[in-house]
Amino acid sequence: MALEDYRSDMEMCCRCSICKFVPLEKLKEIQHSYVCPSIARYNFHTYAGGGRMGMGIAMLEKELEYDGKLLEVVYNCQMCGACDISCKYAMDMEVLEPINEIRIKCVEDGHTVPALDGVINSLRKQGTMVPGAKARRGEWAKGLDVKDITRQKAKVIYHAGCRVCYDEDMWRVAKATVTLLHKAGIDVGIAGENESCCGGRAYQMGYKEELLNQAKQNMELIKKSGAEILVTGCADCYCAFKVLYDKFGLKDDLEVLHTTEYLARLIKEGKLKPTKKVETKVTYHDPCHLGRLGEPYIHWEGKPVPGHIRIFGPPKEFRRGTYGIYEPPRDVLKSVPGLELVEMDRIKEYAWCCGAGGGVKETNPEFARWTARERIDEAESTGAEAIVTACPGCERNFKDTIKENGSSLKVYDVVELLEKAT
Amino acid sequence: MTLKREIYKALEDVVGPENISEAPLILGSYAQRTRPRFEAVTLPQNTGEVQAIVRLCNRFKVQFKASSSGWGAYGDAGGPGVVKLDLRRMNRILEINEKNMYAVVEPYVIYAQLQAELMKRGLNCNITGAGSNCSALPLAAHQGIGHLSVSGSYGERNQLALEWVTPDGEIVRLGSLGSLGQWWCGDGPGPSLRGIIRGNVMPLGGLGVYTKAAQKVYHWPGPSTFAIEGVSPHYNPSQIPPGFMIRYVSFPSSDKLSQAAHKVGASEIGFILMGFNPAMMASNMATNNNEDRAYFKQFTDLVQGPGFLIIMAGNSPSDTEYKKKVLQQIMDEYSGKSLEPVEDPKNAGGFMWRFIRVTSSIREVARASGIFAGQVGGTDVFYLMHQYILRSSPLKERLINEGRLLADGTDPFVQLVEHGHAGHGELLIRFNKQDPEAMKAPAEVGMFANKTAIEGHFGVPGHVWGDAAHDQYGPHTSNYHLWLRKIKKTYDPNAASEATNYITVND
Ligand SMILES: Cc1cc2nc3c(=O)[nH]c(=O)nc-3n(C[C@H](O)[C@H](O)[C@H](O)COP(=O)(O)OP(=O)(O)OC[C@H]3O[C@@H](n4cnc5c(N)ncnc54)[C@H](O)[C@@H]3O)c2cc1C
Ligand code: SF4
Ligand code: SF4
Repeated sequence: MALEDYRSDMEMCCRCSICKFVPLEKLKEIQHSYVCPSIARYNFHTYAGGGRMGMGIAMLEKELEYDGKLLEVVYNCQMCGACDISCKYAMDMEVLEPINEIRIKCVEDGHTVPALDGVINSLRKQGTMVPGAKARRGEWAKGLDVKDITRQKAKVIYHAGCRVCYDEDMWRVAKATVTLLHKAGIDVGIAGENESCCGGRAYQMGYKEELLNQAKQNMELIKKSGAEILVTGCADCYCAFKVLYDKFGLKDDLEVLHTTEYLARLIKEGKLKPTKKVETKVTYHDPCHLGRLGEPYIHWEGKPVPGHIRIFGPPKEFRRGTYGIYEPPRDVLKSVPGLELVEMDRIKEYAWCCGAGGGVKETNPEFARWTARERIDEAESTGAEAIVTACPGCERNFKDTIKENGSSLKVYDVVELLEKAT
Repeated sequence: MTLKREIYKALEDVVGPENISEAPLILGSYAQRTRPRFEAVTLPQNTGEVQAIVRLCNRFKVQFKASSSGWGAYGDAGGPGVVKLDLRRMNRILEINEKNMYAVVEPYVIYAQLQAELMKRGLNCNITGAGSNCSALPLAAHQGIGHLSVSGSYGERNQLALEWVTPDGEIVRLGSLGSLGQWWCGDGPGPSLRGIIRGNVMPLGGLGVYTKAAQKVYHWPGPSTFAIEGVSPHYNPSQIPPGFMIRYVSFPSSDKLSQAAHKVGASEIGFILMGFNPAMMASNMATNNNEDRAYFKQFTDLVQGPGFLIIMAGNSPSDTEYKKKVLQQIMDEYSGKSLEPVEDPKNAGGFMWRFIRVTSSIREVARASGIFAGQVGGTDVFYLMHQYILRSSPLKERLINEGRLLADGTDPFVQLVEHGHAGHGELLIRFNKQDPEAMKAPAEVGMFANKTAIEGHFGVPGHVWGDAAHDQYGPHTSNYHLWLRKIKKTYDPNAASEATNYITVND
């Protein structure tokens, strides 16, 4: 698919601005009713999902020059997909797909931004999105007695992801995951030094070729290992392996699970028994790529059927965020004795993004922190002591923001709390 | 035409460099594709900044136009040389006065936000039928007629005190705001310019900028919110609050429908009453167009003729009983038949919440084809509007037969306003915007409706705006267009407020 293939979707946009707000049926108060960080921060309509639809058409019509403003608008968007969900409450049109295609077109036409070029160069050279990464990729697993799937067979492969491997602060989440899986008797292995970036974030940034290269490389390694299930604790990796690899026909029959899905399953099966009290009040932040964007890909090829009503031949089922991963992380948290889970106003399919996605943390850290600040305030307003998430990208951005702006809120990964209880 | 640097700089000094742009990309998103673009878009944050921009436009002889949510195409530039005021940074609810039952908002508060806050306080507001995505400023909506108008009136009547930046840059505070600094009355003590700042419809950007406005709000007998289960788009309330009831009632004839509707008004049992056709009901419920088509067929097969949607909200158990009995009597008297899928408890709560919160207008008006036209219609005596729409509709039927419009169950749409003291009728059409022949249909429908209105003495409908339309109607209606021009000229001596969709003055 290319931008042109979404022309009819973009032409459907009626400029209703619904994509700026949480789905209106769910809007319970004026506070926390916005859902798109980009328009909330930059205010010109262009930055909203609807504005981007008009931009896409104008690009197809060659009405726009690749100038600084265009790239600024294109890249000041977290690719969080909230606009897509709010729009599709009512409309039969793609929103996030064309937004992504706009980026792909920018890259294909050779118009990129320096901050992302650095990240992508690093990906091409060292297989990681973290430029200048010093630590070695597998170092987090030092001291853990875990199988190396490049040498040993294992049923389950745990993919830690760049954001964990190159951020020492996150190592404990990966370690806790492996420890819990071992406790549950799971035959798990890792690729260690041979693990490579999933490519998902590169795709969000518009670098489609890089995603495909990474996907091929990763699937080759996984196939060789004989693993049947891939588990990851990173929402971006999860979405890449499960959704994007499938989109491009590269997933085969690999089962992809987020750690919270797997852990919830193991708790249900009685293989993990959280018994120790963790007395705390927490709120859960749904990572975009696990929640609304984590639902399975739906393959479809067809065209709009000419006529007064927009229908397709064959019928098209839209991904509307309905089947995202919302309950498993909550189920894990609810299984922790003594833990109280309180909800924020914007949750599940209409959660406010952490701010780090789509390359924003790399291109515009101030905007990434501004977005996180909004979420931290929302979490604080619930009276929770901690914001818990299920993605190292969200965790890092919340922590950085709290460090810079201050807050007594603690930040955890779901896995850490489960480990404490088990 | 690019703004002279001097003007741009002066505007930039008012709003700051982050809040002004003339980048083609930005300007493009404020214009329909083939339409003229603004010279610059500004994002003022308060009345002072609005006033400063308006004054600069007057000084430098460029035009300006404001918008709130920016949905309506009539908020776009009518030609070159226009500066946009996008009011989205003015987004506060300034006051909800529970005792005196009014709310004060800035332009970028949308109805969904205001209504949610009101419901928490046992109050409710009228919402434009366009949807709760629209500005809650009672003066942004075109007429402000909506689902709740039967019990919650409409824009013109609900509007109380107002803050207005006139076309030449004065700040005028109308009603009690002008004398006492309070919001509770639109007409005094203090100046009342209700008939000036809006007429039959709004000036659609052509008469300055409304920066704050109070509106009357109403009693809400329901809970602070409905508990909604499910994930988008499959939301459903877990229960129907006590005292609430929804029915879609169809009738053997259009006459019976209008008589029954009138009785509903006279007995004041309606919380919502809308003469939707099965197509609108199907779209409201369906989560996609395929479902929509299936429901449309199902509903069309089940109804006996034209119908209306009614939601009743009891204030007490006995009030609820009374309302139920009255509706039953009306249905018996006029042979009304309830559409079962609407009253089915599985669906009833969802329908109710979507209609009360007016969240599904986009499903109803935009999903089918991305375009919709409430092309023709007006607000006046209920029976008159019913007749007007009936008389205007044969052309729609012909265009459907020619395949240029969608066959959507052609019943004309009518609704009660203030329990029938007034009524509103509209001719709704849907068509494929990719089809050039279909695209000509709205204009044909409009022309026919104008001819019908003028020849049949139906008054000036709500779809009349812009010079050509006023000039067509004025001579038949006490030459009101001449007065409208006088208003425009008096308040806008420099013609700074861009008025393509209002009225212009040619000296
Ligand atoms: C699909 C559709 C259905 C509709 N159905 C209905 C309906 O059922 N009932 C009804 O009454 N109307 C209806 N309308 C018209 C509708 O009321 C308006 O489009 C909408 O309510 C206006 O609110 P907004 O925030 O979208 O205003 P905008 O789209 O921002 O502006 C609408 C007009 O008002 C002007 N304006 C807006 N704010 C200000 C301000 N603060 N100061 C000065 N001028 C301003 C703009 O210049 C523009 O001309 C419909 C419109 C559409 C597109
Ligand atoms: S993208 Fe969808 S929700 Fe946003 S303005 Fe367009 S139609 Fe409305
Ligand atoms: S993807 Fe997220 S940030 Fe980007 S336009 Fe949509 S809602 Fe806004």
